[in-house]
Amino acid sequence: MIHIVYMSRAVRPLSDQDLQALLDQCRRDNAARNVTGVLFYSHGNIAQLIEGEKEVLEPLFDVISRDGRHSNVVKLVDKPITARSFEDWSMAFHPLEPSGFEALQGFLLPRHLPPPPSSLSIADAMLVDLVRLAVFGADAAPAEPEPAHA
Amino acid sequence: MREQQLQDILQHMPAGVATLQGPELCYGFVNEAMHTVLGAPVREGQPVAEHPGTIPADLLEVMQQVFQSGRPYVAKAYCIPLPAAEGKKPTPRYFDVALEPVREGDGPVSGLLLFAVDVTAQEEARQKAHHLSIETRRLDTRLRVLTETVPQITFTVDAAGKYEYVSPQWYYFTGQPPTADLNAIWPLLIHPDDRLRVLYQSDSARAAGIGWSYEYRLRRHDGQYRWLLSRALPELHAPDQAVFWHGALTEIHDQRELAEALRRGEAELRFLADSIPELIWTATAEGFIDYYNEYTAEYSGLTKEELGPTGWINLLDPSEQAGAARRWVTSIASGEPYEGLFRMRRHDGRYRWHIIRARQLADERGPRWFGTCTDVDDQHRLREVLQTQYDELARTNRDLDTFVYTASHDLKQPVLNLRGLFEELRRTASFNDPEDKKIVGMVDEALGQLDATLLELAATVQDQRGLSAPVETLDLRSVADEVLLGLRVQVQESEAVVDLDFSAAPTLTYGRANLRSILHNLFSNALKFADPERPPHLQVRSAVTETGQPVLTVQDNGLGMELPGRPAPVFQPFARQHPHIAGAGVGMYLVQRIIASRGGHLDVTSKVGQGTTFTVHWFEN
Ligand SMILES: Cc1cc2nc3c(=O)[nH]c(=O)nc-3n(C[C@H](O)[C@H](O)[C@H](O)COP(=O)(O)O)c2cc1C
Repeated sequence: MIHIVYMSRAVRPLSDQDLQALLDQCRRDNAARNVTGVLFYSHGNIAQLIEGEKEVLEPLFDVISRDGRHSNVVKLVDKPITARSFEDWSMAFHPLEPSGFEALQGFLLPRHLPPPPSSLSIADAMLVDLVRLAVFGADAAPAEPEPAHA
Repeated sequence: MREQQLQDILQHMPAGVATLQGPELCYGFVNEAMHTVLGAPVREGQPVAEHPGTIPADLLEVMQQVFQSGRPYVAKAYCIPLPAAEGKKPTPRYFDVALEPVREGDGPVSGLLLFAVDVTAQEEARQKAHHLSIETRRLDTRLRVLTETVPQITFTVDAAGKYEYVSPQWYYFTGQPPTADLNAIWPLLIHPDDRLRVLYQSDSARAAGIGWSYEYRLRRHDGQYRWLLSRALPELHAPDQAVFWHGALTEIHDQRELAEALRRGEAELRFLADSIPELIWTATAEGFIDYYNEYTAEYSGLTKEELGPTGWINLLDPSEQAGAARRWVTSIASGEPYEGLFRMRRHDGRYRWHIIRARQLADERGPRWFGTCTDVDDQHRLREVLQTQYDELARTNRDLDTFVYTASHDLKQPVLNLRGLFEELRRTASFNDPEDKKIVGMVDEALGQLDATLLELAATVQDQRGLSAPVETLDLRSVADEVLLGLRVQVQESEAVVDLDFSAAPTLTYGRANLRSILHNLFSNALKFADPERPPHLQVRSAVTETGQPVLTVQDNGLGMELPGRPAPVFQPFARQHPHIAGAGVGMYLVQRIIASRGGHLDVTSKVGQGTTFTVHWFEN
């Protein structure tokens, strides 16, 4: 099993409907292929972590990276893992109309995102934190700044 | 019949036909088409001049002249506008009008034959073509002005590679006379190192029918070679068959020099970074490491790929990773500099202390992070060693104080005895010699001084060290841990295993400094006299005897020693069992004295080559 993390930019801003459609399609197709993961979206910034079998994930990443809805796809990690960490996750973004999305399955408002699961290595958890920071900015990060002790 | 047929044909001819008779030029035969030309119905016998219609005055004039002179006349593309309704502009129509004089036999001209062929469409086409050519000329001029004023050299080259056109800038640039043979000279002006490449590249582009874009050096009028960018696109006449290439040469020398300087600067900086024996790295605005210097690979034994964008965290001591990661994310979010002291794993698995520092650089290329990891292990270790040595010195100092204290205490009794004996001597012996009396007085005085000095010594040390401090209830475990912390270097170096078991009697009521002194001496002794064949193993246990008294045993697996046969104090000051091993020899004497002073005693059993066990009976004498 491997996981892949990438960041990209949406070619056009994605509307709530676009995101909803993407969410539906991803949930359906990923479930069928036993792919799990999480997708972050905000103001054209995209980041996604996908985990699954290598034979499934690598072609999927090829398809995703050629998807015309985004560009500048930069792969950050592609490496073997021993366990899944995002089985219950799907997507997090700032919808323009939050009311309709709160109840939606697999969707989370960025500020409701839990910290990365402890099944991730510290290096990978930090990567997810940085990716989330890059997509949503500093405000959405769950504020738990440690008192700096130099 | 034939006449009738002719009439019919004339009537329906697509050209206007009319006969005009007599000097008045009265309408005779007028066919249908001519009616259309005239735009209004005419009667036979009506003079043309009377017909209020379409025939312009100048044509009427010409008709008169043809009639009089008898010379035919043809007016090409003559405009006879179609009369329009009130207020509307008449539609222009064009006709080729032929006027043919008619004679009866050889007689004088009796009338005119009038032909009018509609050439409006042709005329309009011609006029359009005319306008077009004017427009083309205008565009052409504009293009020329443009191509001759832009800073670029523009050119046109044909499929065979022959230059059809080059803008005057080429001549300014190269300094060649306008008479120069472009095709012969141009290749000679290209820098020799670029010439073959350029000729080949343009050749193959022309063969493939595609455009090109390449850079090369061309010699300027002053002999200097300047970098130019040559770009050209084919002009396709038939699909896939280019006839001409039009292009421009742009001077990019300065940009190129700048880019070159930048590249060189970057390469030099990188070289610098790669030459420094320190871990250096850069990170993107998002906090992902995108460059590690060569030393990083050397130190960690991992490639850039293996380290990855966040893999540096794996180099840290596992207990420090989470905190370091959290602080990095915080720095990225806030832009605050990053700094911390961490142990970093070297390729051989050893951890060395490093200060990791990173700062954000924000310029027009967006924020980036620059970081270093400075090896401070030697300093760190030196500090630790110094601390240990300091601890050791403080200990020894304390031990000496204790020694002075106990020694002064121990000497008190003999001095007391001496004074008693001296008093006895003075009482029983008689001193006749006055000198003797003086000496007796001096001895008495010296004894008094000795006594006072001992007292003073004891009092001073006692005050300073709190050795006679009141007893308190002490947690054996925490005091033992404290002592082991002071000995950690020795413990680490000898790879000693220390088992502490205070479950049977966890606390002891004793003087804190005394207990520490005793444990320190017992532990350090055991480590010092370890058997070099095996790592030391200390077993420390507290217990309560049958009589309810607390005891402590310290058992080691060290060298062991020969014990003297008689049950006497085992340890005399400065007497050492193992002269080859460093130590003041005073420690165990102290231990014994302290224990005795508190009403206890020390037992020892030992086997050479197997180890020694000390048993402290705290209060049982
Ligand atoms: C940002 C982004 C993330 C995507 N993530 C997934 C994904 O996790 N799983 C998936 O099946 N398709 C994902 N897609 C969609 C794929 O690129 C592709 O459109 C989809 O698999 C449908 O492909 P198909 O038409 O060949 O079936 C994503 C697209 C974008 C733009």
